[in-house]
Order: sequence, then C-alpha cells, then structure tokens
Amino acid sequence: MTMNGDAVKVVPVRHYGRWVAAGFALLIVAMLIHTLFSKLPTGHFACQVVNGVRKCHPDLTWRFSWTIVGQYFTTSEILHGLVRTLELTIFAMVVGIVLGMTLAIMRLSPNRVLSTAAWTYTWFFRGTPVLVQLLVWYNIAILYPVLSIGIPFTPSSWALVHITTTTLFSAFAAAVIAFGLNEAAYMSEIARAGLIAVDEGQVEAAISLGMTRRQSLRYVVLPQAMRVIVPPTGNEVISMLKTTSLAGFVGVVELLGAASNIYGGNYEIMPLLIVASLWYLIVTTILSIGQFYLERHFAKGALRSPPPTPTQRLRRDVRGILRKFRTQRGPLEAVR
Amino acid sequence: MSEAMVEVRAVHKSYNGIEVLRGVDLTVARGEVTCLIGPSGSGKSTLLRCINHLEKHDAGELRVDGDLVGYEMRGGKLHERNDKQICAERARIGMVFQRFNLFQHLTVLENITIGQIKVKGVSPEAAKSKARELLARVGLENKESQYPSQISGGQQQRVAIARALAMEPKLMLFDEPTSALDPELVGEVLDVMKDLARSGMTMVVVTHEMNFAKEVANTVYFLDAGVIEESGDPREVLTAPKSERLRSFLSKVL
Repeated sequence: MTMNGDAVKVVPVRHYGRWVAAGFALLIVAMLIHTLFSKLPTGHFACQVVNGVRKCHPDLTWRFSWTIVGQYFTTSEILHGLVRTLELTIFAMVVGIVLGMTLAIMRLSPNRVLSTAAWTYTWFFRGTPVLVQLLVWYNIAILYPVLSIGIPFTPSSWALVHITTTTLFSAFAAAVIAFGLNEAAYMSEIARAGLIAVDEGQVEAAISLGMTRRQSLRYVVLPQAMRVIVPPTGNEVISMLKTTSLAGFVGVVELLGAASNIYGGNYEIMPLLIVASLWYLIVTTILSIGQFYLERHFAKGALRSPPPTPTQRLRRDVRGILRKFRTQRGPLEAVR
Repeated sequence: MSEAMVEVRAVHKSYNGIEVLRGVDLTVARGEVTCLIGPSGSGKSTLLRCINHLEKHDAGELRVDGDLVGYEMRGGKLHERNDKQICAERARIGMVFQRFNLFQHLTVLENITIGQIKVKGVSPEAAKSKARELLARVGLENKESQYPSQISGGQQQRVAIARALAMEPKLMLFDEPTSALDPELVGEVLDVMKDLARSGMTMVVVTHEMNFAKEVANTVYFLDAGVIEESGDPREVLTAPKSERLRSFLSKVL
C-alpha cells in the first residue's frame, strides 16, 4: 500500500503486559544473584556445638561459603566420587538401552507370549520404587546364597558351576543391575514410541527390496526411530545421573556419598552439598550439548534444513545486527 | 521359458471376514504391460500386493516366473516358504508405491544403493555407479545428494522407480504411482514408465490414468467387487466396454 508514492510505515503492536512480566523476571534474577553473593551480617556467623566445643564457621564472609566450596571442589575424594557417578550412569544406561530396545521389539512382536512377557516386565519394574529394587538386589544373597549353572528344575547337586552370590554382587554391581533393569522398563516405552512412529510404508518398501524383517529394522526403521528416541533418552541419561546418588544407600561412594563422607567429618554440610550440586550441573550441561548434536545428526532428511548450531546462530545474529546498524545510518547508504 | 511371467488362478483373499478378492484369474505375458483398473475398494491394490507376497492370499494359485509365490508344493500340500526364500523372490520383483515410500533418512543416491548393497551384496562403488546410471535414466542426475523431503513428489516417484530398477527385477509392480501427485507432475512419471515399457520390462500397473492404459498397455483388466469384470485389448475394452459396470465406471473417470 502506498500513499503519495511512499511506502506506509508499519507500527507493530506494543506488548505492554509482556514488558512488565519481563521486567519482573529480571528483578527476581537480580535478587537471586545478589543473595548468592551476599555476606552474612556480623554477629550472625553460623556456629555449631561440636563435642561440647562451640565451633564457628571459618568462612566469615560469604553466605554461601564460596571459599570452602572452592577448597573442596577438586579434592581427590570428590573427583573419585564423580568418576563413580559417571561409571554408574554409563553402565546402567547401557544395560537400560540394550534391554529396553529388546523389550520394545518383543512388545511389538506378533507372538503373544513375547509381547506379554515384555509388558509384564515393564509393569513390574515401573511399578516398584527404584530404591526398593536397589535394596533387593543388594540383599539378593538372602534369597539365593549360592548361584549355580545347570539344568532347570533339577536338584542343585546336578549343577556344574556354583558361585557364592556375595562375591558376584558387590554394592557397585547391585547398583548397576538395579538402575539398569529399572531403566530398561522406561527405555522400552521410549523405544516402542519411536518404532511405532516410523511409517508402515517404509517397512513395506524395505521388504519389497528383498530385505528381511531384521534388515528392515536395522537399516530402515531404527535409524528413523532414533529421531523420536534420542530426545527422551537424553532426559533419561540426565535423570539417571541424579538417580545414581541413591547408590549411597548400599555404600557405593559416588559424588553425593563422597560429599556426605566429608561433611560427616567437618560438618560443612551446605558447602559440600553445593560442591556436589555444581558437579551435577556441569555434567548435565555437557550432556545437554551432546544431546543437541545427536538430535541434529538423527534429524537428517526429516527436516528440509537442519536447525543451526549455536555458533551458526550467533554468527547469523551478529550479521543481522550489523545489517540493521548499517541501514539505520542513513537513507542514502541504505539505498546503496 | 514359454510360460507367462505372472499367472493368477482363482485367487481369494479376505480381511476380517470381508472378501476382497473373490476368485481372480489373470495372466501377464513376458515383456508386456498390464493395467488394472477399477473403482476404489475393488481389490486391485490387494491383488498387486499378493503378487509379491506383501499380502498372503487365502486360496488359489499365484505363480511368478513359474514359481508359486510364497509357497512350494511338497507331497500334494502347499508349504509356506521361510522368510529367506520369500525375500529372495521379492528382490526380483520391483514395487513402486502410491506414497513413494522413499527412505527418509537416506539421500537419493543412498536410497538406490542400499538394496543393492544389503540384499544383493554388491560393492558400494558398483552400487553407486549403477545408481548414477539409473538416476540419469530417470532424468535426476543432479539430485543424488538431496534428501527425499527436499525434492518434489514427481522427482521422488522417479527415484522410487530407480530404486526398484537397481535390483534388476524381472517384473515391476506399480500401485497407483501417480495418484498422490499434483497434476502437472504426473507426466514426468508416466514418461519414465513409458520408457521402461518400451525397453521390454514386464509391468503390472494399477492406475486411474486411462490414456496411459490406452497408449501403453497390452492388456487391461477391469476389477469390480473382487472379480475381473472385463479384460482385453485396451483400445477395445476402454472405447467399447461390454459390461454396464465398466461403462458407468469409465463415464465417471474420463
């Protein structure tokens, strides 16, 4: 639309409500940052009575005792705990993903026995708390003091191999099994959703090329199902990272366990909980970045153009701002 | 070798108690193009899918290149073949779908090479050069690194034809190959199919393109309610239909 040959200027709607809400959010953020780095008022130093002796907080300045956090952040005990946490997460997720995929494929099998077995597994392991399962696996020797390999339904004296259960089930192994089997129940549902999401025509096309069921699953269905499976699996990894803190209940010294061992000795509860939390946050951040690139990889072909990476987006934004800046300098230059 | 490429004798098929095919007979000679026409729900797609055993027929005899599809005769009984044998049979029968069904996660080139590599055991280099040859044949040399979602429907269907041809089939089945296309894209797909027919490929085509049937087909079969109502030379069947049903069908589509 033109008036007197000039383009009519467009004035966008002003969202006053949004501006107020954004201002309020900014205020809260400012208050949070302020309190994180605030100092305790004099005379209110945190003091505790330990063995009849009044012991005051050595960090007399920061409310969140950042000095002590810094002191313990990279001690070998904490780092060993961190490694244990990562090991537990990785092993449990491997068990969970492999078993979960198998359960999902069983669940979709035309054979009713297989699909019912998979359904029952999910029902049981999703229906009981993971902490209970952990304690059961840790104490499994009460039910089965000796494990034997032999022929089912025959006396145990016929068996060839006998193993004392406690030698097999260390606290760490019990935790991996408990978390892994529990995770498999959730992963099977995620994998099933992914497999169902792939169009039936894809399987028909694969089969009419002469592929077997297994080949069509491997080369056609799974790669496309991954697009649906990866995002919630990333969530599961992050959730598992934090669930492993339960392993402390059976004596595995993971990240939180290491922190609590330290504060059990020096009563610096808050600083050590902050140390553990910061490490959990760091690992979660790294995992989220990994998830972004993994999702991008499996989105191949599904989107006409893949979403930009953070660096690409930054470059595009900078270019956009520069262009705006240039056109604002004057109509003469803008025309050129 | 004198026998027909496809022989269908008294084939029956029902879904959940509803009979879709009620005793169909059909013969496709080597090197000939056969078109199946008929109203929707008449069973033409089902018949096509029975030919490469995507659907199992319930009764009757179905032979491709002299072999019973999906079964073998032993001791007077039909035994269903195992998956491996059925897959080997299917690899020699090309199929083109209404919805293209290209593998969305693979590029155009990979769509054409995957069957050769995984099913026939062809080396990746040989598979690629064959794929490029076929892409040139369907006029899409410059699209090999695109993903299916990045090209038009007509181009996707031409890639689907190239994908089927890569397996060096002795028979090509087309299930309404132009029905999902915008009208202006139909021509490019039909041109590829005409070219294929001229090269001597045996083809069975389920279609609503009466002009294509008239021009290319050696035989046309009109299916209605699960039986062959009329068949013969397309110029006769389509211009001077004998049955009332075909007459009313043609008056609707032409």
